[in-house]
Amino acid sequence: MELPIDKIFSVSEFITLLNIGLKSSKVKIIGEVGEAKTGPTGHVYFTLKDEKDQSMMNCIIWKYKYGLYGIKLQEGMKIMASGYPEIYSLSGRLSFIAETIELAGEGELKKQYDELKKKLEREGIFALEKKRSIPKYPHKIGVITSRQGAVIADFLNNIGKFGFKIKMIDSRVEGQEAVRDLLASIKTFRKKDIDVLVIIRGGGSLESLMPFNNELLVREVSSFPVPVIAGIGHDKDEPLVALAADASESTPTAVANLLNESWEQAFLLLERYERDIVGRYEMILDNYKEVENELRISLSNFKNALLNVKIRLRDSLDKSLSGFKLLLSAVNQKVIQAEKSVFFNNPERQLRLGYSISRCNGKIIRRTGDTKVGENMDVRVLDGIIISEVKNIKK
Amino acid sequence: MVKDKSDVKNLNSNLKKLSEITEWFDDQEEIDVEEGLKKVKEAVSLIKESKGRLKEIENEFEEIKKEIEPEEE
Repeated sequence: MELPIDKIFSVSEFITLLNIGLKSSKVKIIGEVGEAKTGPTGHVYFTLKDEKDQSMMNCIIWKYKYGLYGIKLQEGMKIMASGYPEIYSLSGRLSFIAETIELAGEGELKKQYDELKKKLEREGIFALEKKRSIPKYPHKIGVITSRQGAVIADFLNNIGKFGFKIKMIDSRVEGQEAVRDLLASIKTFRKKDIDVLVIIRGGGSLESLMPFNNELLVREVSSFPVPVIAGIGHDKDEPLVALAADASESTPTAVANLLNESWEQAFLLLERYERDIVGRYEMILDNYKEVENELRISLSNFKNALLNVKIRLRDSLDKSLSGFKLLLSAVNQKVIQAEKSVFFNNPERQLRLGYSISRCNGKIIRRTGDTKVGENMDVRVLDGIIISEVKNIKK
Repeated sequence: MVKDKSDVKNLNSNLKKLSEITEWFDDQEEIDVEEGLKKVKEAVSLIKESKGRLKEIENEFEEIKKEIEPEEE
């Protein structure tokens, strides 16, 4: 920026102008913490000293930023701060406004990691019994990762075609700046309707994974309303976010496979059910055929039985008919017999033939001894009675 | 059917009566002409009745046979 040579600035205007220029000079500086004090408003004022020549820089980190990184600044601590310089107009003092702070050096990082891990362990944040199971057949997946890089591509290439609805929030995943992004992304997903939250990034050193060891982030993951799967690559020290998550995998592919798992099992089950159903149906068909055969045999038996009954009926009918005929003929014979008997016994027939019946004193005369000479005798003939007297008897 | 039964019964009783009459004739040592004549008259009437009933029964039987025969085919 070129300034007009004849322009006269007030002190305030000049400081403002300088600060505009200084704010664009964003840098990272590394140094050892000298004095560190928390002001009444909660902002932290500290100095960073150069190890070699004791050069010193006044630094300020605002309260809300200081709380983000989980680092308690102490004298002698080696840190890296990113930010920009600014002149405080009331004192004319130049200070470095730190936007992020992080521990510098593996030793410090490891120490911070171990301490936080112990603390959270005591609280039970990593307890196995606290872990929720990943829901079966997850459908709505929230993904937090960087749009850059191969991680999201690996995840999307490996997630199955099971009708997942994937909502992704692009977030920085490296450096202390990532903490704010990650926290904001998690907060956004809290309000979204998702079945499971996935946080993925590629592998890296303890230093590059430090955002995933952030206490606030760990607590957010631990209290997230739906199960969280972490897929954060690591070598030795598993990021605390991964420990707090309900499931942890080391690669985005493994996370995708975990989400696929219940669906794949469902498909296998479906195939098995299909086979079972087909098998059972075939069995039913076989049974049916068997029953059909049995039925056919039964029908044929029944037909034979019917035929037998018919034959027996016919037989008994024939027998009845012929029996009845015999009966009729027997009755007929009896009637004829009776007719004959009556015919021959009819007294009128005897009388018509010329025979007569004689009675003496009412008794039929069969022998000469049945009457006496002089007695009257009634002689019955066909048309009447002749009354006569016995004149003589010859023996 | 009830009629038939009673008819059959009548026929049976007719036969029974006829049999009694013929037995009466057979057993008679002294023929009572008057009584014999009565029996003959009764027997003639029973025979007539029985023959008529027999004819009816035979006809009925033929009808039944006709009814059964087609079903048998």
